[in-house]
Amino acid sequence: MFGNLRAFAQSPLDKTITIKLNNVPLRQALDKITAATGVRFTYNESVAASNIKLTINAKEQSLKQVLDAALANYPYSYSQLDQDILIRYDATKLKKPVAEPAAKPAAEKFTISGTVTSKQSGETIIGASIRLVDGAQGTSTNGYGFYSITLPAGDHQLLISAIGQKSLIVPVSLTSDQRLNITMEDNAQELQTVTITATQKGARDLKSPQMGVEKLNIKEINDVPVLLGEHDVMKTIQLFPGIKSAGEGSGGFYVRGGATDQNLLMLDEATVYNAYHLLGFFSTFNSDAIKNVSIYKGDMPAQYGGRLSSVIDVKMNDGNNQKFGVSGGVGMIAARLNIEGPIQKGKSSFLISARRTYADAFLKLSKDTVVKNSKLYFYDINAKANLVLGDKDRIYISGYLGKDVLSANNVNGINWGNTTATLRWNHIFNNRFFSNTSFIYSNYDYEIKVKQDVNTYGITSRIKDWNFKEDMQYDIGSDHSLSFGVNSVYHTIKPGEISATGNSGFISQKLETRYAWDNAAYVSDTWKATDRFTLTYGLRVSAFSIIGPGTYYDVDADGGITGSKHYNSGQIVKTYLNLEPRVAAAFQLNDISSIKASYARNAQNLHLVSNSTAGSPTDKWIASTNLIKPELADQFSVGYYRDLAEHKYEFTFETYYKKLQNQLDYRNDANIFTNQPIETQLLYGKGRAYGAEFLLRKKTGRLTGWISYTLSKSERLIDGINNNQWYNARQDRTHDLAIVGIYKLNEKWTLSANFVLYTGDAVTYPSGKYLVDGATYYYYTNRNASRLPTYNRLDLGATKQLKKTKKYSSEINFSLYNAYGNRNAYRIYFRDNKTDPNKTEAVRTTLFTYVPSVTYNFKF
Amino acid sequence: MHTIRFSAILMILLGLLSSCDKVINLKLNNSGPQTVIEGTVSNEAGGAKVSISQSQNFYDETSFTGISGAQVTVDVDGTVYNFDPTAAGVYQNSTLIGVPGHTYHLTVKLNDKTYTSTSTMPQVVKLDSIYVVDDEFGTNKDKTKLRVATVKYQDPANEQNYYRFIEYIDGRKEKSLFVDDDEFTNGQTVNSRLNFSNDNDDPAREIRTGKQLMIEMECIDAAVYKYFFSLNSNSTGSGNSAAPSNPTSNITGGALGYFSAYPITRKTITVPAN
Repeated sequence: MFGNLRAFAQSPLDKTITIKLNNVPLRQALDKITAATGVRFTYNESVAASNIKLTINAKEQSLKQVLDAALANYPYSYSQLDQDILIRYDATKLKKPVAEPAAKPAAEKFTISGTVTSKQSGETIIGASIRLVDGAQGTSTNGYGFYSITLPAGDHQLLISAIGQKSLIVPVSLTSDQRLNITMEDNAQELQTVTITATQKGARDLKSPQMGVEKLNIKEINDVPVLLGEHDVMKTIQLFPGIKSAGEGSGGFYVRGGATDQNLLMLDEATVYNAYHLLGFFSTFNSDAIKNVSIYKGDMPAQYGGRLSSVIDVKMNDGNNQKFGVSGGVGMIAARLNIEGPIQKGKSSFLISARRTYADAFLKLSKDTVVKNSKLYFYDINAKANLVLGDKDRIYISGYLGKDVLSANNVNGINWGNTTATLRWNHIFNNRFFSNTSFIYSNYDYEIKVKQDVNTYGITSRIKDWNFKEDMQYDIGSDHSLSFGVNSVYHTIKPGEISATGNSGFISQKLETRYAWDNAAYVSDTWKATDRFTLTYGLRVSAFSIIGPGTYYDVDADGGITGSKHYNSGQIVKTYLNLEPRVAAAFQLNDISSIKASYARNAQNLHLVSNSTAGSPTDKWIASTNLIKPELADQFSVGYYRDLAEHKYEFTFETYYKKLQNQLDYRNDANIFTNQPIETQLLYGKGRAYGAEFLLRKKTGRLTGWISYTLSKSERLIDGINNNQWYNARQDRTHDLAIVGIYKLNEKWTLSANFVLYTGDAVTYPSGKYLVDGATYYYYTNRNASRLPTYNRLDLGATKQLKKTKKYSSEINFSLYNAYGNRNAYRIYFRDNKTDPNKTEAVRTTLFTYVPSVTYNFKF
Repeated sequence: MHTIRFSAILMILLGLLSSCDKVINLKLNNSGPQTVIEGTVSNEAGGAKVSISQSQNFYDETSFTGISGAQVTVDVDGTVYNFDPTAAGVYQNSTLIGVPGHTYHLTVKLNDKTYTSTSTMPQVVKLDSIYVVDDEFGTNKDKTKLRVATVKYQDPANEQNYYRFIEYIDGRKEKSLFVDDDEFTNGQTVNSRLNFSNDNDDPAREIRTGKQLMIEMECIDAAVYKYFFSLNSNSTGSGNSAAPSNPTSNITGGALGYFSAYPITRKTITVPAN
């Protein structure tokens, strides 16, 4: 690390200094240098608490020379942060072990394995890096904090690092297989997190063949400004390349040109079918309860399947098993409370995290009786408990319950919600063999109530899953690590039940419930072929069986029913078998750069059909049928990865081509409110999407953040739409730029900003008008050939640490969404002019301009 | 109508948020004029009429741009009725009175192009009565309660039925489309509300005490229902449809519009005080 710093003119490192210190503790020594030169130092608590003592005797030397000499024998390094100097713990300066004596030819190999946890909370740490100090070999912890690494016999020094944790060095002496559980200390800042840990070489894991992935620690996202001050994982991931917001008022997002239903959302392994509250303004994931989020943009490892475009794997916190704690926050529209603590100290813990909005309290103040009698709120609860049973077993029970209630004037309303429950059992067979068994329940339903005059209508719909999953990881040796498993899900889909009372003549209806059994098995091997070349190759086999009872239909090209067949309970209507190969390779060019390539096929048997511009909780989930075939995607991608400026920056470039089959859409004249079989309303076709994604990210220093840019195209070809010509998918977005900056001004204040700019959605504008029976209607030519205006927005945020003691801390967060009040188009519609009915006009609806918010957070 | 108006709730929610509408200047493509044919045959004298017009550019002054010079005929059971021009683009036959159960064939010849269509006049289902109800939460511009016309009829059980209603308030025709089918109400006594949004706050569109309310009920065939249903869902420019498109027409030859043979019944009331 030394001598790597470029000395800029005016650099504080060039300042000359005359100082004499004898055995002065590090922190005091730095204070004295500050007093002598005016140069300030920045460091975290571990540096401040360091017990090393410095001896300096300098005469007219530059600060650089002084620091080089003073820190030469200690595991600390320095770097320049504008006019300040950052001092940090630098494990790489520790002496490397002396080379193995030649006396051990064909050295035996042994395996070290264990779990990495946080010392403060006992939480397992996901994605912690465990590697030799010289960086030659390494691994990282899995979703349960477990790692396994096989090394030659002898003495080694393991460097353990993870986001938000202090790095540490663990010496090991390998003479046999060994269990090594590691605890890491949290980095000093807790609420107001700016991570100033040293970045290790290859932070993005240049060696791993995994492409198209973003892994986010919850601590990383808490400084990004958001709408109404509610930290939101789902909104933050939309600032990364290839992941695009479906627009304001819609919680959905598009990954690499795919539709919103092509994203698999998992909360502790359970599928979440509707990830949004309040029509998309908030995600169902309460960031207080979340530990970690991984997003795979189509290049999914073989363990995942079922959706074409992406997997969002959200892992909940386990709960603090060291001490009892309460944290929470009060914002403009919602309040949060999080309680966690040990059930049995160090062994088991629980966590309960709850949220509720209170915007409806303000509705009561309205003079308008309609508004006054309206309901508009959501709540959600995350709960989890885990229990360590001896050295080899751990059990987790987790659950989620979320509900939205929306009603007008006490008579019309809708409520919808997700429920999930997961029971998991981690078992370590031996040092190399880890298994996780999950039993999962997942449910999504909605209920609509409408009252008109003397008539009432009730509509209910539900999708329910019972899910069994077995995932295993086997570390074959230093070169191969195997993962394999099975997954079996039983889906029950109730598309709708309508009950009616009154005089409308409406006859209560019950649409046929659909049943399906979704099975999959996979195996995948990661092979470290050489020091530089790593290959992951695997296969997922999925078999989706549609099961009776039920009637299935044949439909002609115009949507007319030509025949039907009834199947009895348990009878198999059809099984779709799909082979989904997944291959990924990484070639490390040198210490700072690598190239990767991958191919993946995904199959999808659950489809969401929607004809509204903004996703609605009532959009229909349907399973594949005899006519609706599984959607298929083949994605090819190539990427280049490079660390810049001594690993302070990382640059990622990825490009992909995706071929889609069996895509579906509604017919132009579809009636979505019908008890006809859904196939009579659908059309089928194919799609293609391709693009290039750029990401430049700065992870250390006072200023952190990223610039993300995507250039892309997404098209569909569906018989019966757009004269059977290729047309832009609605989510086709040529340019998409996001800039995120977080600046730690001082100990108290953190400032943040993000800016987004993207090509407007592809939409269909009229190219003429005509009269039918005296009223104006519009004439359309090409589907999605027009564009909404370019979207752009700047958000600002500031967080102030109010109080911070060992027992209690609090902060206040201010944010301003759409800071320059740009009037972005939520939609554009066309109408007769209100005063001159002979004129027609285009009208833009804007949802949000200048949304300020204040949130108070506390923790004790 | 029976399509439960969930969107109304969404709009209330969006209204509570700080949404705002603004007329903007948008550049739009011009497709060039398209032929629009509206043909009707009813069971009343004067109901046999075909209007032929052209579509216009979006920013043109909206008007009926009738096309003259077309040869228009309707034949039924071997008898051919010629339609004569009565105004620019309007062709009529005063003797043709439709009879339920018969199939009518329209032929329009215009500039070397031939457009054809077929419509079978359904059996008469009588409009039983009409009345007015208060809307649950809608208001007029002056904050008085919004009132809505309701139609009552007996749907026959032995056939599929499709209906179109036309509302006249003090003789002024409401431009909103009202169509219904019996998919969920077969064989029932139906009370159905003719909901519409008075989006330009025009007092003439409000149903108020003392006004004359007349409703015409047309029994239409399946293809005409499909036309009006898709016209209403995808061609109104409302911005809610993800895929605006042209309606499914029952006219062959590439014209916009429809041809409908229908029997008609009507009821008139003076709106009582609420």
